[in-house]
Amino acid sequence: MSLVEIVLAVVKILILALFFLNMAALSTWADRRQGAMVQDRVGPNRAVVYLPNMVARVIVLLPPALFGVLAIFSSLGQLAGRAAAERFTMNVQLTILVAWFSLLVLCAKVRSGGAINRAEQMFEDTDPRSIFFAGLGVHAIGLVAGRLVPPAAIPLAAQVSGFVLGGVFLLVGLYATSRVPDGKIPLRLAGTLHALADSVKMIWKEDFIPKNADRLLHGLAPVLAVFSALAVMAVIPFGNDLCFADGNKNGTLDLSDLGHLLATVPASGACNGFRVKLQIIDLNVGILYVFGIAGTGIIGAAIAGWASDNKFALLGGLRASSQMVSYEVAMGLSLVGLFLIYGSVRMSDMAVWQGQNAWGVFVQPLGFVLFLTALCAETKRVPFDQPEGESEIVAGYFLEYSGFKWGMFMTGEYIELVFSSALLVALFFGGYSLPFLHPDGLNIAFGDTVLFQYKMTHLAVSLISAIAFFGKTVFVTWVQIFFRWTLPRFRYDQLMKLGWTKLLPLAIANMMVTGVVVLALRNAGPAADSWLKLLADITQGVVAVATLAGFVAVVVGLLEPVERKKFLASSAARFAAAMGGVKPEPQQA
Amino acid sequence: MAKRTPSNPWTKPAGAPVQGKAIPRPRRTAEVQSYLPELFRGMAITMRHFFKNTKEMMLGQKPDPVLEALNEGVTTICYPEEKRPYPERFRGLHRLTLRDDGSPRCVACLCCSTACPAQCIHIEAGEYGEGDKRRGYERFPKTFVIDELRCIFCGFCVEACPCDAIRMDTGIHATPYDSREQFIYRKDLLMEFTGRDGSRKSANPRHEPGDPTHPGLSREQMDH
Repeated sequence: MSLVEIVLAVVKILILALFFLNMAALSTWADRRQGAMVQDRVGPNRAVVYLPNMVARVIVLLPPALFGVLAIFSSLGQLAGRAAAERFTMNVQLTILVAWFSLLVLCAKVRSGGAINRAEQMFEDTDPRSIFFAGLGVHAIGLVAGRLVPPAAIPLAAQVSGFVLGGVFLLVGLYATSRVPDGKIPLRLAGTLHALADSVKMIWKEDFIPKNADRLLHGLAPVLAVFSALAVMAVIPFGNDLCFADGNKNGTLDLSDLGHLLATVPASGACNGFRVKLQIIDLNVGILYVFGIAGTGIIGAAIAGWASDNKFALLGGLRASSQMVSYEVAMGLSLVGLFLIYGSVRMSDMAVWQGQNAWGVFVQPLGFVLFLTALCAETKRVPFDQPEGESEIVAGYFLEYSGFKWGMFMTGEYIELVFSSALLVALFFGGYSLPFLHPDGLNIAFGDTVLFQYKMTHLAVSLISAIAFFGKTVFVTWVQIFFRWTLPRFRYDQLMKLGWTKLLPLAIANMMVTGVVVLALRNAGPAADSWLKLLADITQGVVAVATLAGFVAVVVGLLEPVERKKFLASSAARFAAAMGGVKPEPQQA
Repeated sequence: MAKRTPSNPWTKPAGAPVQGKAIPRPRRTAEVQSYLPELFRGMAITMRHFFKNTKEMMLGQKPDPVLEALNEGVTTICYPEEKRPYPERFRGLHRLTLRDDGSPRCVACLCCSTACPAQCIHIEAGEYGEGDKRRGYERFPKTFVIDELRCIFCGFCVEACPCDAIRMDTGIHATPYDSREQFIYRKDLLMEFTGRDGSRKSANPRHEPGDPTHPGLSREQMDH
């Protein structure tokens, strides 16, 4: 193993480990926050840090100022050809985005807190929604108007638009800084600080070990639980393959070659330089490695239950091991249909197949439901949380743990949750691929009809793909956390019945039907292939449209004004009305 | 013949068969059994709450917990920052009302300390000096001490007071201190508090002897 391979492996491990650990902490926060929001409570927001005013102003000013200066400096040099056109379009669109977004924020601020000068008074009667829709319109106009610029003037236009973008950034930053209120600024970050405070607390709490407990196993169990949760991430592909040119012409990849990322790669993703996979290791057993390592998670729970010298803990450990063993069978079998279609168990091959054809959730909908159910049971979260059912056996297998060992169990559980989301994304939601995004750029095509084509650089595509993978993982984690606040816990016999008499037969049936269909389609000839390709492209279109619609729905919902009826039915209400409402200030988030 | 159970007035009539209401078994359709439609319905409900409440929290559009309490939305409050006002007749900390000249209205009659079931009021009466127009007519409290930790906030002292000198309309609840000594409220502190309307007097006017509005006997009529 050469030096560069070690460096790359360490960097990739760091990226994934930091992502998973941070996401574990953030999901504990998201869990509590969602619970509060679903149950109409304010939720945890007492943890607060008071920022000195100067620091708050610098924090507000720094990002826009940095972006502005960056935009201006990067526009100083002349660009030519495609790069200039790309830069011009990007600058114009970014300028428009920054402009309407800051106007929107300003409008919301003025409407809730009042105007402080003449210019702001204009926004008092403006509907924030009109700013959003006007912004979308200007985006479209900007795209069309950009095409009208004569090709000779494009390099100059790219420079000028860069300066304008920098100016807008600086202006927005300065104005936002001037609007930072005086005095110390309470920073609550919507309760995220509670996760931080919790981890600090866990480190300093007493590490209690029961008198008759097995000290060695008691200490070993949480390590095993975290180990299995962390080790599985090795095979998850989190971005397009990077392709480096042989910069110093010595025929091997070394550190100096890492600066020579190819400018473009063909649509097939073929690479005539050195290929670096954004995946810690591309095992040929792929998903089987995941099953194998995830299976050792059982040992952690079972040992914890055994070593604690507590009947409830033992019950929890027993429940955990029997539940996880049962559901591992269904989990593995529900994926066999997917292997038949992808023709591989390598995680990277699966991601590539989904990018070129359709996402796994469209080709294996039943397999998806079965796998998701089994996965929920594997992560021991609601509705499958009998191993730690607090109404029955207090806390289950980690009942006798406290302090950081308990924290390790919790971290392991939440890492498992995030990892299960990453696995769902890699297997069913296209991995790092986005609809119509190919290694050479955007290519919206249905069958052989190409509707829109836009070439992009290798770096841009790789960055977008990595961001897409992490973004999808965050989204799926968020949805998985929602199960907890929606579903009640199953009874233990229901759990076992579901696993053995429902999921397992369904998984086997799914496997057989998929096998027959795959065989039939392989022998059906080229006509069927082209129809399948068209169908696959339509599913990609469905995903793209659904994503856009979801985004617009969220923004429109966000901008919807609220109208409420006031009731002056009590003396307390009269006092509140005289005060101008119970809340003098909007909640500092 | 089977032995009849003896009649017991506390149970159902003997011998009569139990008449129950027939309740149909829950339908076990495929829709219910597959669990998925209900799951999506549940997720839709929880997500609607989540998005609505998150938006309102972030944008400061949370419904007012008192004025808009009957609306949907987050119903709890961030306590020290937001406080629900107490209702008008809430019995809060005591205050001693003042006369126009700033002296307490209290005449040290000891009605309140007598009425107090918790015996938390201690008053030492003092005589006005020689020549004072109030001397011989009324006394004043040299010390007036309330132990707010003993107080059960029953309001009997307010009811007992013939001069409207002690009131519990401050709208402040007892503050948590870290020592018992700090709960001993003395005269000057009790005179500091204001009512809900911000005034240190009471709404009832006081008619001093000698005022034209004074209804009772005055010193001039004492010679009889």
